[in-house]
This record gives sequence, C-alpha cells and structure tokens, in this order.
Amino acid sequence: MTVATERRRGERRRPAHREWPGFEMGERLGALRVVVCTGSGGVGKTTISAALAMSIAATQDARVLVLTVDPAKRLASALGIKGIGADPVTISRARLRRAGLPARGEVVAAMLDMKSAWDNMVERYSPDRRSAERILKNRFYQRISDAFVGSHEYAAMEALYELHEAGEYDCVVVDTPPSRNALDFLEAPARLTDYVGARLLSWLAGPSGVGLRAMNFAATPFLRLADRLLGGDVLSEVSDFVRQLQGLYGGVQKRARDVYRLLRSPQVGFVVVTTLEPGPFAEAEFFAAKLREYTMPLRGMVVNRVLPPTLREPSSAAAATTLADDPRIVEWIAQHLGERYAPDAVRGVGRIHLMFNALAQRDARALAKLERIAEVPVSRIPLFTDDVSELEGLVRIAGLL
Amino acid sequence: MVFVTGKGGTGKTTVAAALALLAARAGKRVLAVDVEAKGDLAAALGGGAVRFTPQALQRGIYAIALQAEESFQEYLGLYFKVPRLARMTPLARVFDFIATGVPGPRDMLVVGKIAYEERRRDKSGRPAWDIIIVDAASSGHVVSHLAAARAMLTLVRGGVIHSQVEWIDELVRDDSRSTVLLTALPEEMPVVEAIELGARLRSEAGISVSGCVLNRMVLVSVSPSQRRLAAALNRDSDAEEVRHRLGGDPAPFVESVQLASQLHDRSAEYARQLRAGLPAPVVPVPLETASRSGLAMARAVADALAKDGT
Ligand SMILES: Nc1ncnc2c1ncn2[C@@H]1O[C@H](COP(=O)(O)OP(=O)(O)OP(=O)(O)O)[C@@H](O)[C@H]1O
Ligand SMILES: Nc1ncnc2c1ncn2[C@@H]1O[C@H](COP(=O)(O)OP(=O)(O)OP(=O)(O)O)[C@@H](O)[C@H]1O
Ligand SMILES: [Mg+2]
Ligand SMILES: [Mg+2]
Repeated sequence: MTVATERRRGERRRPAHREWPGFEMGERLGALRVVVCTGSGGVGKTTISAALAMSIAATQDARVLVLTVDPAKRLASALGIKGIGADPVTISRARLRRAGLPARGEVVAAMLDMKSAWDNMVERYSPDRRSAERILKNRFYQRISDAFVGSHEYAAMEALYELHEAGEYDCVVVDTPPSRNALDFLEAPARLTDYVGARLLSWLAGPSGVGLRAMNFAATPFLRLADRLLGGDVLSEVSDFVRQLQGLYGGVQKRARDVYRLLRSPQVGFVVVTTLEPGPFAEAEFFAAKLREYTMPLRGMVVNRVLPPTLREPSSAAAATTLADDPRIVEWIAQHLGERYAPDAVRGVGRIHLMFNALAQRDARALAKLERIAEVPVSRIPLFTDDVSELEGLVRIAGLL
Repeated sequence: MVFVTGKGGTGKTTVAAALALLAARAGKRVLAVDVEAKGDLAAALGGGAVRFTPQALQRGIYAIALQAEESFQEYLGLYFKVPRLARMTPLARVFDFIATGVPGPRDMLVVGKIAYEERRRDKSGRPAWDIIIVDAASSGHVVSHLAAARAMLTLVRGGVIHSQVEWIDELVRDDSRSTVLLTALPEEMPVVEAIELGARLRSEAGISVSGCVLNRMVLVSVSPSQRRLAAALNRDSDAEEVRHRLGGDPAPFVESVQLASQLHDRSAEYARQLRAGLPAPVVPVPLETASRSGLAMARAVADALAKDGT
C-alpha cells in the first residue's frame, strides 16, 4: 500500500514525550478489559477499532475481540465477518503474521447484532416468558427497537457488557455506531431507563388491566380527542405496550447502573477518533470534555487522515505561487530545464500544490491546538490513498497507533 | 418539495443551503426546513437560531426548524382546531412518549408540517412558497420519515389522522410535486448507502430520486507532463537555480501531484460506481479547500452546482 508520505523532512521535531513508537497504543491499552472507540460519523472508528485490536495483539499474548458496528463490506470481508448474527471469526496468529503483524496474540472479529441485542434484553428482563412474548409481538416494539433514539448505541452497550461479563476475551475493543452525536452512546442507558421508567408510564398503564380506559373523568376529553386522532385500537395497544415495558423497569435500571459503573472502572478506556476537519474535530473536543464530566477515562486520541507534513512548508507555497501566477516562469523553465511545458500545465502544478498546502495548513493548526489541549497521547494516522480495508492496511495502521 | 438526504456528514445541510441560495437567486420564494433542528441549516444560511415559524434569513429565503413538540401543538391547532395544549398535558405526554420511541407519529408530523407548508396559500391565493427545500434526516431515518404516511396508514386504521395521512402520502409520492436529492462522498460507505437508499425509497416509500450530489470530489486531473515537470523541478543538478527562481522549495510538488492524481482517480472510480448503481443523474461538487464554513461554504457549493448547470 502507498502512504501519502512518511517523510518527516523539515518538520520540527516534537518533544520526546510526544513520540510514541510502533504499537505504543496497543502496549498502553492492552491491559484494559474494554476499549471503546468513539468519534463522529465516517472518521474511521471501525477501521481504527480493528487496527487497535491488532496493535494490542502485537504486544501481548491475548485474545482480543473487536466488536464492529456495520463495517464497510470490504473491511468485513478482510476480517472474515460473514454478516449480522454470524459467529465471531478468529484471525489466527499465523494469519496476522502473514499480513505483517508481529503477532503475539490473536484477534477475534464480530459484528454487532442490533435486533438480537434488543430481543435478548426483553427476554432477560421480562418477569416471565408470556410477557416477553407479548412485547416481542407488539407492533410498537417492532418499530421501537429500530428507531428508538439511541437504540443502536444501547444495543452496543448491552453487547459490550455481556461480552465483558462472559470474560471469554482478554480485551474487547468496541466500535460505536455512526451517530450524529457521539454522546448518544454515553447517554443511551440513561435515556432508555428514563423511557421505560417515566412516571407517565405508571399513569398510562394504570393499576389494572384496563389501562387507559379505567381513568377518571378528568381525562375524558383527552380520551375522546385521542380516540378521534388515533383511533381507539392504537391507544389500547400503546397502553398494553407501556404496561409490559414497565415489567422491564427494574432490570433495565439495574443494568444501566452496572454499565455506567463498568464504563467508569479502571479496566475501561475510551479512545476518541477524529479527523482534522472542523466538524468532526469540534465534536471530538466536545466529547473529550464530556468524558471528563462523566468521570469516564479518556486514554487516547487518534487523528486520522492526516496529510503529509511536508505539504505545509511555507517555502513550497511560495514556489507554487510563482508557478501559478508568474507567466514568465514558463519560458524560464523551457530555457533552464530543457523541456517546454504548456502554460496551463505549469499553472496547474502550482495550483494543485497550493490546494494541498491550504489543507495541510489547516491540519497543522488543528493538530497544534489538539496537542496543546490533549491530556492524553495523540496518534496521527496519515491519509492513505488506496485501500486501508485489507489486513495489511490495518496492520500498517496498527503500527502507527 | 426537495428532500436532501444521505449518509451523515456527506453535505446534506450544505447542499440544502446551496439549493436554497440558487433558488433565491432565480427569484423564487424559498422555504428551507431543518428537520433535525440542530441549527446547522440556519448557520449555513447565515442566520442564528430558527424556530417553528418561518423566519427570513436571506433575501427570498425563509427557514424553519422542526421539533416534535411544537409540531404536534401546531398540528392539532391546524387540523383539528384544538386550542393550545394548556388543558391537555396528558395528551401531550402520551404523545411525547410515543414520539420519543416510535418513529411513526413524529415522522408523520415532520412530513405533515412540510406538506402543510406546501399547500399553504398567501392572501392572493397563490402558494406561499415556490420551493421547499428540506435538510432531511440522514439515510438511517429518512426512509421512515418519507414512508411515515404509509406506515401510519397501516398502524392507525381509523380516526381523523387516517384520512389526513392519506393525502400526505399521495403528495410525497407525487413526482411532480415532491422529490429526493441524495448526497454522497467519493468513499465506499457513502456511495453504497446512496445506492441502497435510492432503492429503498423506491420500494418502501414509492418515492423516486431525482439525483445525487457527489460532494468533495477531487476533480483536478494530473497530466503526464505535469508529473514530469514536478520531477524536473527537483533534479539535483538544477536544484539551487530552481529554488532561487521560484523563491522556495519545489520538493513537495512531487507529493502533491501524486496525491492529486490518486485522489482524482479514486473520485472518478466512486463516481463510476455510483452512476452504475443509481438510476439518477450524479452531480459532482468539488472539494473546497479554502477554510470556509457556514454561508461562505454554502455559497461556494452553490456556485459549483450552478456551474454544472443541472
Ligand atoms: N487513514 C485513512 N486513510 C484513508 N482512508 C481511510 C483511513 N481511515 C479510514 N479510511 C476509510 O474511510 C472510510 C470510513 O472509515 P470507517 O468505516 O472506519 O469510519 P467510521 O467512523 O466507522 O464510519 P461510520 O461512522 O459510518 O461507522 C472507509 O472507507 C475507510 O476505509
Ligand atoms: N464541497 C465541500 N468541500 C469541503 N467541505 C465541505 C463541502 N461540502 C460540505 N463541506 C463541509 O463538510 C462538513 C459536513 O457538511 P454538512 O454539515 O453539510 O453535512 P451533513 O450531511 O449535513 O452532516 P450531518 O449528517 O452531521 O447533518 C461541514 O463542515 C461542511 O462545511
Ligand atoms: Mg463504522
Ligand atoms: Mg446536517
């Protein structure tokens, strides 16, 4: 694979404590039981999670699970994941070595199965089999598990907790869903607890099986209107659903507490992935601050898709400006370098460089800011111009983490 | 009505704002609708926070942001002549409960409000808006938005809502009044999602897609002679002279030329995949490299779209 560049010529040396040689992140995080990779959509969370699992496997003889959420097809096939609900796939030490990783442990890849995570939850927390089935069959439930705000996040959280409890793996690296807002992940358990436990529910569900119908006269105009709006069967279906959900409350509440306790424990670490674009970058800053507020441990940041530092040299921008703006340069080149180039071609080279120079300068500003404020190590992963979804590509990233 | 949607971060908001600017330039009265109410759309149109009632942001452009609660209150007022909800908190709470967890009603209100604006007339009896541009939810949710009317028809079999919903469903599926514009990036997942989304909108909501903006394309191509030039400027024998004449170091040119050519090829390859998978025109928009945001970015994208002409 080609890297846009690895040359560091001309770049100011960073202070020693900012240098982390190969697999450093794996070394540093390998002792944790759970590592959660978050960041805004499309920044490389899934890719980095897989690479991080490899980085950990490179530094110790461990079984490392990477739990991916909706991986791109090429990445899934590189990892050997067959699809949703498929069994976890082991990538053996030998295969990792063939891909170039000096592996000491092995990596197991799995894919989050949202639907079954919800169904499991209902089954686990329902007081009995019958009420579980009533919920599973309810039309509202069937849509809720798909569209409840934060439902993917909640499913990921559940899966993480289960995996951790089962203790089958030395370390679990968790990818997070492509949410608009990385915070959805942290807030999912609380939100679900609120939802299931809202006081409204007890009011709605009523003490008896009659539910909404048994309410006092004060609510009568309400019922009439609701009936007019929604039609009667909807209301009774909602009220039935609500009543069933209430049966889950105790269990869900306890689980949310346990999950939050786990996320705050010293065995867990968060890694925030970001690019240097303004949007994702601001989101990453915000998320890091939130983790602090929640007293959840941020252990590292990964800046992905960084342009080669050589592109930002001011002296090269000056040279590019000459090519782009000085019409006499064409003649000069013809005389001194012995080949005549079309004026457009010459201007074009200058413009192309100025374009990347502008982007690289933006990168530099954002990086400088990050290094100033980050309280944790920051890994930089270059922008690769060809596929990073092959095992070899992931190994390459693992080394840079 | 134009619904702009695509994978998160592909440029829905920027493209919706750019379309609004273009329509306004053409003298149209534009309503821009921010479905997720994050405030991004208002920012891209150079304004501050926008609420539920249309608010002027640019010449000819009004904007609203939709929030479930307000939508519901207005909805009741509009369609059922029910006064403000002061006396009906229980209903509001029930609604809230359903709306948080179940997509149907919330989505329905979103689409319902937009449909209402589509039908609205001014005093002289002509439509209040020439065009409504919706910065819609991202791929994950937009199908449920647009198919909400249909879903609702199966979920709510009676009541006034049922008949309300029918005309909304018809409107959304009427190609002459409503259309979807997708956004994507020249990367694997966004392209795959755009293709899948196009297919799902057709099959699940009966809606056809009028096009896809392929955003952040690297469109500059690099010729062999430009590659030669970058190398020639870096020949050891001429190094001092070249540096002196150019007033700087040409070494990184080799790298930028190579990067441009690789990114260009990758952009072209994804454009090809998208065209092959999506039965609708694909409109490329170049990657903007100047640090712009908000209105400046939307204007740059509007100019790029105008240049393309489609
Ligand atoms: N350093 C890199 N250089 C080039 N391409 C990269 C790099 N890192 C990731 N990619 C590519 O970018 C795309 C997005 O990566 P990935 O799927 O890991 O992001 P994500 O954050 O998990 O996205 P989502 O939010 O959709 O889940 C993929 O096509 C991946 O191969
Ligand atoms: N052609 C472009 N070149 C460079 N940057 C762009 C371009 N189009 C949009 N952007 C930038 O990309 C970022 C994401 O764009 P935008 O907010 O429009 O996407 P979105 O799809 O609405 O995202 P979300 O899913 O978060 O709502 C913004 O910072 C925007 O300024
Ligand atoms: Mg992902
Ligand atoms: Mg947006």
